Amino acid sequence: MSIDKRPLGEPALPASADPAQAVPKATRRDFLKAGGMLSLSSLMGTAALMAQTDDAKATIEWAEHFQKNYRLMSDEEKNEARIRLERRHSAEYGRKVTVDISGAQPGVLMGYALNVRKCIGCRRCVKACVEENNQSRGSRPGERIEWIQVLRMERGEFSEERMNHGYPEGLGIQVGGNAYTPVGQVLEGQFHYTPEAVPEKDATYMPIACMQCEKPPCVKVCPVRTTYREADGPVVIDYNWCIGCRMCMGACPYWARRMNVTKPVLPKDEMNPVTHYLGNRPRMRGVVEKCHWCLQRTRQGRYPACVEVCPVGARKFGNLLDPDSEVSLILARKNVFRLKAELNTFPKFFYFYD
Amino acid sequence: MAMNRIVRHALILAACAGFSAPGLAQDAEKKEVKETICFESRKGASEVTKREIRPGLPNVKCSPTTDAVLWYGDPYEDTVPMGKVPLLDKIPEGHAVVKPRTEKLSLASTCTLACHNGVTPPGFPKHKKPIPIPTMEAMVPDVKDLQHGRGRIWCLDCHHPTRRDKLVDNFGDPVSLDQPQLLCGKCHGDKLRDWRDGIHGKRIGEFASTGKKRWFVCTECHNPHDVQNGAHQRGFTQLKPEPPPQLPAGMKDARHEKVHPIAH
Repeated sequence: MSIDKRPLGEPALPASADPAQAVPKATRRDFLKAGGMLSLSSLMGTAALMAQTDDAKATIEWAEHFQKNYRLMSDEEKNEARIRLERRHSAEYGRKVTVDISGAQPGVLMGYALNVRKCIGCRRCVKACVEENNQSRGSRPGERIEWIQVLRMERGEFSEERMNHGYPEGLGIQVGGNAYTPVGQVLEGQFHYTPEAVPEKDATYMPIACMQCEKPPCVKVCPVRTTYREADGPVVIDYNWCIGCRMCMGACPYWARRMNVTKPVLPKDEMNPVTHYLGNRPRMRGVVEKCHWCLQRTRQGRYPACVEVCPVGARKFGNLLDPDSEVSLILARKNVFRLKAELNTFPKFFYFYD
Repeated sequence: MAMNRIVRHALILAACAGFSAPGLAQDAEKKEVKETICFESRKGASEVTKREIRPGLPNVKCSPTTDAVLWYGDPYEDTVPMGKVPLLDKIPEGHAVVKPRTEKLSLASTCTLACHNGVTPPGFPKHKKPIPIPTMEAMVPDVKDLQHGRGRIWCLDCHHPTRRDKLVDNFGDPVSLDQPQLLCGKCHGDKLRDWRDGIHGKRIGEFASTGKKRWFVCTECHNPHDVQNGAHQRGFTQLKPEPPPQLPAGMKDARHEKVHPIAH
């Protein structure tokens, strides 16, 4: 089998940079590359050989490469995968890491609502998400990953000063505008705004992240079916089966998915040790990740991290099947819209205003 | 991160100052032992001191750039039961908690000891009209130009006339500073209804409608004396935002976002 010198994909690598600790590694990619040419019997022989080795790490990695797609695993296999991951991550990060495998509870359909009128664009949700979900946080290009984007949008022609600048000119606000002066708000927002203080005059803010669609385009295009909708709502990814083809990134109309182009940078002391298999467990290079509504928290009944940290209380989370939940009451009472509803993706993420 | 920066500062200072470095290094040490205090919703309201609940599990994580709380290890830290709120009866006993505001409003104890000690002073007006009170205006200059109610309300519409650690309800009965919703809801009834149903305001903890939650009360997010400053502030003091996302590889700045600006 080819060893090391691989430009991409190190799913089972420990975080150690110490070459002395390096062990022979092989990814599923390599395995497929090399293994495709071998006969089935010799494959089985190799696996059996590796399983008998004394090197615990190598055994764990081999087991990981042979594991099934998470959806096809039995409870027993899930538990084995959990134990493997917990052992590996605990050694890697020098602390006790738990990997939750709890499934969807009956009677729960998660839903999210966001008050666009309240949002002040402070980006605290973005940073809270990074603290919670073990994203890469390096400084070189591609090493800083954030799942939530906050769009700053200007009020366009509807600002006080522009009242009389429509087309044709001199007749007050005109319908339609033109190519050079958009009317009202457009979704061409600014992501990199850096004012002294927010909210700014004549600006509105629109945070976007994964909308957890009921008909997710990303799920339709995934060639290895590693991303799918869980029974309680969120669209999740089994990172071990992701081949990094980025089809889902192209399919998502909400720019929600992120690619680990580089090896994720996750300092030991900043790592969140409470993880979920389908959620915030540390990712590898070459896999796609995205918001999963903090599965490690919400499966245990807790609010997602972004909801807890929003200083204006614009973010709401609840069970859509419970008529008394916050989100159900918002849907019943407030003016609600979905982003890009015309695409028939049916997001469970609703925007509302008072 | 913050720690790193302090250390880096100390190094730079030490390098610049040469032989005077020992003194500065001591200063840096003092800074390091200084406890981290982070604000929750807005600056000046509830604050948390960072500490470790268990080894490796902090009670909060704070932003290194703005000192805002970014993550809660224990959402119910230092909380007490919220007390009764009318029509909020579906929540089991003890599942609604708040962080007490009384200690935070530090002036309260001084005020109650010195003057407003529960005894109606001689010459206290019988009518409810606003009257200038020079001693109060000297101590709290903001009362001259109250940014709430556009001149239609004044101090004693919200504060208890003789007990300064209490607010006042419609019948003149005292209301705890921990339960300002009973006072604010007198006028802002629509907001009270939304808050009670979880639509307005903020709760942290368990998301189920009957789960245990820490409720944020009105004054933890809004400053009632200052709600009108700035028409675009949406009832909320302006904040410094967190840093923007990383620029794509090879891009020097984000000027491309302003190629077609909308002039204001």
